[in-house]
Amino acid sequence: MKQREISRRSVLQGSLMASALAGTASYFGPWKENRVWAQGAAKPIKLGLTCDASGQYGNSGQDDLRGIQMAIDEANAKGGVLGRKITWITADTETTPATGSRLAERFITREDCTILIGAVHSGVANAITQVAAKNGVIYLNTNSSAPSEAGENCSRIKFVWDGNGTNFSKASVANAVNSIGKNWMLLTNDYVWGHTTSAATKAQVEGAGGKIVDNLLVPQNTRDFTAYLLKIQQAKPDVVATAVGGDDIKALREQVAQLKLDGKPAWINNQQDWPDVWGSPDSLFGVFGTTWYHKLALPGVADFVKKWQATNKEGSIPVPGNVSYNGYMATRELLRAIERAGSTNNVKIIKELENLKVSATDRMQHFDAYMDPVTHQMQQTIYLARRNPKPADKTDLYEIISWTEPKAVADTDAQAKCKLVPYEQVPTVDS
Amino acid sequence: MFDLLPHILNGLTLGLLFALIALGFMLIVGLMEQINLAHGSLFALGAYFAMQLMGPRPPFPADLAQSWLALPLGWRYAATLILAPAAVGLVGIAIEFCMRRTYGKDPLYGLLLTFGAAMVIEEMIRLTWGTRDYVLQVPQAVNGGFIFGDLIWSTYRFYAAGIAAAVIGLVWLLIEKTSFGATVKAGAHDSEIVRALGINLTRLRLLVFVFGTMLAAIAGIIVAPIWGIRPHMGVDAVIPAFLVIVLGGVGSFWGAVVAGLLVGLAVGLSGAYASEWSLLSMYVLLVAVVTFRARGLWGKKSVLEA
Repeated sequence: MKQREISRRSVLQGSLMASALAGTASYFGPWKENRVWAQGAAKPIKLGLTCDASGQYGNSGQDDLRGIQMAIDEANAKGGVLGRKITWITADTETTPATGSRLAERFITREDCTILIGAVHSGVANAITQVAAKNGVIYLNTNSSAPSEAGENCSRIKFVWDGNGTNFSKASVANAVNSIGKNWMLLTNDYVWGHTTSAATKAQVEGAGGKIVDNLLVPQNTRDFTAYLLKIQQAKPDVVATAVGGDDIKALREQVAQLKLDGKPAWINNQQDWPDVWGSPDSLFGVFGTTWYHKLALPGVADFVKKWQATNKEGSIPVPGNVSYNGYMATRELLRAIERAGSTNNVKIIKELENLKVSATDRMQHFDAYMDPVTHQMQQTIYLARRNPKPADKTDLYEIISWTEPKAVADTDAQAKCKLVPYEQVPTVDS
Repeated sequence: MFDLLPHILNGLTLGLLFALIALGFMLIVGLMEQINLAHGSLFALGAYFAMQLMGPRPPFPADLAQSWLALPLGWRYAATLILAPAAVGLVGIAIEFCMRRTYGKDPLYGLLLTFGAAMVIEEMIRLTWGTRDYVLQVPQAVNGGFIFGDLIWSTYRFYAAGIAAAVIGLVWLLIEKTSFGATVKAGAHDSEIVRALGINLTRLRLLVFVFGTMLAAIAGIIVAPIWGIRPHMGVDAVIPAFLVIVLGGVGSFWGAVVAGLLVGLAVGLSGAYASEWSLLSMYVLLVAVVTFRARGLWGKKSVLEA
């Protein structure tokens, strides 16, 4: 019998072909409209954690993951949910919508995940939402704060846990127009979150009698902001409002601080995520928004920080920030909702989450929080902060200057834009 | 017009940095006919090694570390500019050893090997330093800003552009005005004849590759204070480097330099006047040039061309 020789080239070509085919196969299916698994007491509930580990929000995605894992560990330590253990799988969504979509598909159709959790980038969150909605799988958008996530891109299966660009703009803009000046310049990350957040800021500025003199779009992954900083100096605005996130805002902040442009004009950074701040405190300037801070003088905060540190000893960030907090809170409330519903049926869990109310003490925030049943966005306390001139320790980077109750900063535009499908149009899913 | 001048100046300084990033890549492509996809990772490694050397925990024994930290920042920075590229050069030696079996074969093998090396280096960076970003300390003399034409400019940016211009000049002198450069070019042109003349081609290739990796590391150190240091910074470097080489013409030294300047001008000017195009502009420039001149600005004429 003639033995066929296998050359290295043919192996490589074969591998490449196989990889390409595998990728194509996962893209095209198999699709399943309705998924019902047999109920079994010992069968774990499996969660798909769609967290970035690389790209613009790689750092934040991993901090999100730490919070999510902590909530799961807590639930498992108490015997799980409905007597069933919680298991999870995660993979890098790469801050890329196409990857997010592909992973969501894989988690649902091949890994049997019945709930997806995790997002920082609004484009990725929206891509995952499309896949989750088609399959009836509940999706928790933990940290993407584009107003569109609770507006035109809302979904019956999706719940949004972070404050959004409109909430933060409402908390900061009107006061700044009156106290600092009317000429504003916008720096906008060129994707959904940047655009929708800057649109919200523009509306607030104009509503308060101010004027937008220019809006500079910042492509994602911009590292060199010299051209923008020259343009800002030439335009001489009173205030620069940024909607720039992730690694981009870190690079921008460092370059602004290096040129000592952090005093004039005044800067308002819509929201600062803790992973974007930690590591370069010297470049923290301006006023910025957040939903939580690890040194809030509120009951439960210190204990939460200790527990988080105990489970994240090896991490590069020593204390939890808003991103990890959101991941934790979203997951904890989901697992509680399953327990209350007494079922893993997706519609029953959705109804529980739609009626969610959490006391200020339980949230470790200043005001009670509630889930808006119209937009599926958590309505919560919005904090404004600036660099702490008298830090108590090396992690004490923020000085919290105000906290606003949820109703005062509610995103009313989102309520008008969000159209949720009726329950009966949601494919049934049961873990 | 006066509004435009700062942006032209910004574009030119940025262009010199792009040319510096592409320099090591160009050298290896031009003289060894190998596409080194690990260029970006070596660029990142240079920045990380420099950060480690400049940071509070240098990788030395305790006594030496103490003496090292007692040195003024400027001296440490100057020494780092030599030590970090030398350390990356050792990594370059390891990669070149692996590449030897691919010489003279389908370029795909070298390409796949360096792609694999890039993945390994990036993951090693993640494992060693984590996913967080770092800032590279620089001496006070080149930090901060200065006022020129009623605008505040970054001192470091002009320092970086100056270093880039100096390195470009030195590399040109080495290749064009020394017997080593002549031998290297001859080796790239006709390796058999060079070998027949008794020149150790294996060692020559090793030297060129290591030189290219050290240039990548120098670029990483120089660019790090502007871009920041993070695991995937190599990807941010290798794509423009590849683009600059293709735009300038594969193998052309001055083609790469001019292409770097053009890319810098395109990014700088679009950043000011059509900011949403600032990253895309370099690709538009590439398409525009390659459409009319497939071999790039100064690329050699292919035998397939009429």
